[in-house]
Amino acid sequence: MARRNGIVFIIILVVFALTIWALLQPVHIGGFVREDLRLGLDLVGGVHLVYQVQASENVTIGDSIDRALITIQKRIDAFGVTEPIIQKMGNDRIMVQLPGFTDIDAAKKLVEQVGFLEFREVEKNAAGGLVYLKDYLSANVTGFFNQTEMANRLFVNNLGEGEEYGKFVAFLSKDQTGALKFTDINGNAVDNATSLQQYGGVASWVPSRGSDGTPLTGDLLSDAQPNLGGNLNTEPEVDIKWNDKGSVIFDQIAARLYNPTDVYSLDHVLGIFLDNALISAPQIRAQAFFGSGVISGSFTMPEAEELANLLKSGALPVQLIKPPLFQEKVSATLGEEFIDMSWKAGLVAILLVMAFMIAYYRLPGLMASLALVFYGTLTLAICKLWPITLSLGGIGGIIVSMGIAVDANVLIFERMKEEFRAGRTLGAAIEAGFHRAWTAIWDSNVTTFIACVILFWLGSAAMRNAAVTGFAVTLFIGAIVSMFTAVTVTRTLLRMLTGSGLARKSWLFSVTGGKK
Amino acid sequence: MLDIIGKRFWFFLISGVLIVIAVISLSTFGLKPSIEFSSGSLLTVRLETAVDFTEFQQAVADLGHPDAIIQKVGDADYLIRTEELGEDAKAQLEAGLTARFGTLSEAQFSSVSPMVAQETARNALIAVVIAMVGMLLYVTWAFRKMPNPFRWGSCFTIALFHDILVTVGLFSLFGRIFGWEMNLMFITGILGIVGVSLDNTIVVFDRMRENQRLGVSADFEVVANRSQIETLSRSFNTSLTILITLVALLLFIGGTIQNFVIVLLIGLIAGTFDSVFVAPGLLVVWDKNEWGRFLPWRKSSRAKA
Repeated sequence: MARRNGIVFIIILVVFALTIWALLQPVHIGGFVREDLRLGLDLVGGVHLVYQVQASENVTIGDSIDRALITIQKRIDAFGVTEPIIQKMGNDRIMVQLPGFTDIDAAKKLVEQVGFLEFREVEKNAAGGLVYLKDYLSANVTGFFNQTEMANRLFVNNLGEGEEYGKFVAFLSKDQTGALKFTDINGNAVDNATSLQQYGGVASWVPSRGSDGTPLTGDLLSDAQPNLGGNLNTEPEVDIKWNDKGSVIFDQIAARLYNPTDVYSLDHVLGIFLDNALISAPQIRAQAFFGSGVISGSFTMPEAEELANLLKSGALPVQLIKPPLFQEKVSATLGEEFIDMSWKAGLVAILLVMAFMIAYYRLPGLMASLALVFYGTLTLAICKLWPITLSLGGIGGIIVSMGIAVDANVLIFERMKEEFRAGRTLGAAIEAGFHRAWTAIWDSNVTTFIACVILFWLGSAAMRNAAVTGFAVTLFIGAIVSMFTAVTVTRTLLRMLTGSGLARKSWLFSVTGGKK
Repeated sequence: MLDIIGKRFWFFLISGVLIVIAVISLSTFGLKPSIEFSSGSLLTVRLETAVDFTEFQQAVADLGHPDAIIQKVGDADYLIRTEELGEDAKAQLEAGLTARFGTLSEAQFSSVSPMVAQETARNALIAVVIAMVGMLLYVTWAFRKMPNPFRWGSCFTIALFHDILVTVGLFSLFGRIFGWEMNLMFITGILGIVGVSLDNTIVVFDRMRENQRLGVSADFEVVANRSQIETLSRSFNTSLTILITLVALLLFIGGTIQNFVIVLLIGLIAGTFDSVFVAPGLLVVWDKNEWGRFLPWRKSSRAKA
């Protein structure tokens, strides 16, 4: 018995040493690397977004969301955010968490932007003349001027200056009945008579297609890099590389649009559009490009980098509804204050609980306090090694569970005192105390488990509230760990004591007037 | 020996008063839902130096948010709660405040759409109901071998509702004074109370179960009283250790988990009182069929008997 207890004691010591070792320094075991405790967004600062995906008839959401996650991941990777979380929630939502990235507006742009790159040219009528918005606005137009191209027409402000240049004006499409219809960027009908008149002079853009009808879009890109070029290598632009299919189509289009003269003409323009806005409308001055091209515009270098990143990661296969369903941002300084306060709160709590336990239960209280320290290191070590993201709620859970962890000890010690007073020897009282308190300890932990599971569900649904899930997870772990530390560890320590001389001093066990 | 059970009707009276206060407070003040349940935006700006509160309030109103609810936290942090704030509206508000009060930093910003708010509110309700039903089922099962398991289960339920009602009621009363809101951490606190309160009740009932099995006395009142006394120090001590951790949290952290700590604090006290003094009393009342004593007009006849 005593020998077995000794072995258990040694095992406990080893585990305790391991937890200290795991906590004090980065853990590297083969490919298993844990640098530090992983802290939640509310502690390191960062951005948390939840988006609803726009449902549309012709796209099955399930598969495209998965591809959208990859696209978003690629875009974020370019910013070097450590451990971003990009997940699907339910069937039609996307959650993005960016620890340490606190510019919420930039984050939203990064995630929301569709990044759909396409190339369009100006529509020509049957006689080969260019088509403008005013042609469609004039009376008695019932069909497209180019009757073979059935895709929607895009009107952008290609006459505008500065900020206004290239901005979206309207779509023109055929509805089911075959009637022409102007719509805004979200597909809602536009009153063509009044609001569009002022843009009468802008061109009607149709998709540029290869000989087989494939439109030239960003899907056919293989790479995009920001670069300095143009005007003596001082203007930022984006070099693009086409994949095999893209190279062929691009050259077919170039041959068709080729401008042999130096006179600028809309007849020979290939418009570059990103998310339905015109970036630039260069002339085609070569008949073949052999797979590469340049997108220039009036970019700053960061803008060129952003565009290249967007093009490289590809277009989002789904539309995200703006604004996000849920958005949250915590600044890094606020997070730091929370960490600081958490340590203080945890330290004060554990010291006071220990002081109370020792004052009230004397020697067993001291053992329980040692077990409580072990409880703290073991819980934190598990959090680090798992790893579990510690949010403020999670830390709250750990601190509160220190109060709950000693509950098992309180139950046991009270029982022990009773048994001792009833005339048992110390050793027998200890064993009986542990044995008879067990059902109450178990029952109360089961209720904790139930609460944790339900809280975890609540926190995961809808907005993924890190405080609630964090609390649920740490409380759950805490409850399991406490069953081990408060029962096994305390019992082992007390059994060690029964053999020593201390056991004869009954005041150490806060039992006065013991009969034995 | 201390006679706790004999004073059971005094404890019922205290509970009754607390419940009446809770119900009145809930029906008059209600609970103010946070943006997590009612949608909207919460913006925390940090100024370099503190400014006059009413002046700040006026500035926010002038910038087009007359209905905004403003709270000052810490040294110079201001919480501004508005309807759902768009990107431009937020930028405008911040620019306006900067122009008036100098450099500010955006410490925290969160925004919840009506759709998510609705779902969250619904989920919270489901969570509380499932948690309560789940735990009660477990407890009834754990006490299944006792005579009248239904009776034990019912007293668990009554004790639990009592705790939740009193906690929520007092939270609404203090919330009115201090401007507390009901948020997700509040719900977490409520579920925490469900757990802690049941734990306390379990310990007392567990002892009653044991003492009855040991045949301590034929009189259930004696069994109950003895069990109460035997578990008294455990209940107080455990509550005290949890209380210590809660006070530490409240003193140092506050912030987003403040609601949770406050709910637990109130619930812990109410729950301890109720499982030590009220719940066993109810079992005794049931055992002796004393229900008549709750009706004042029958009190005299009972006294005669």
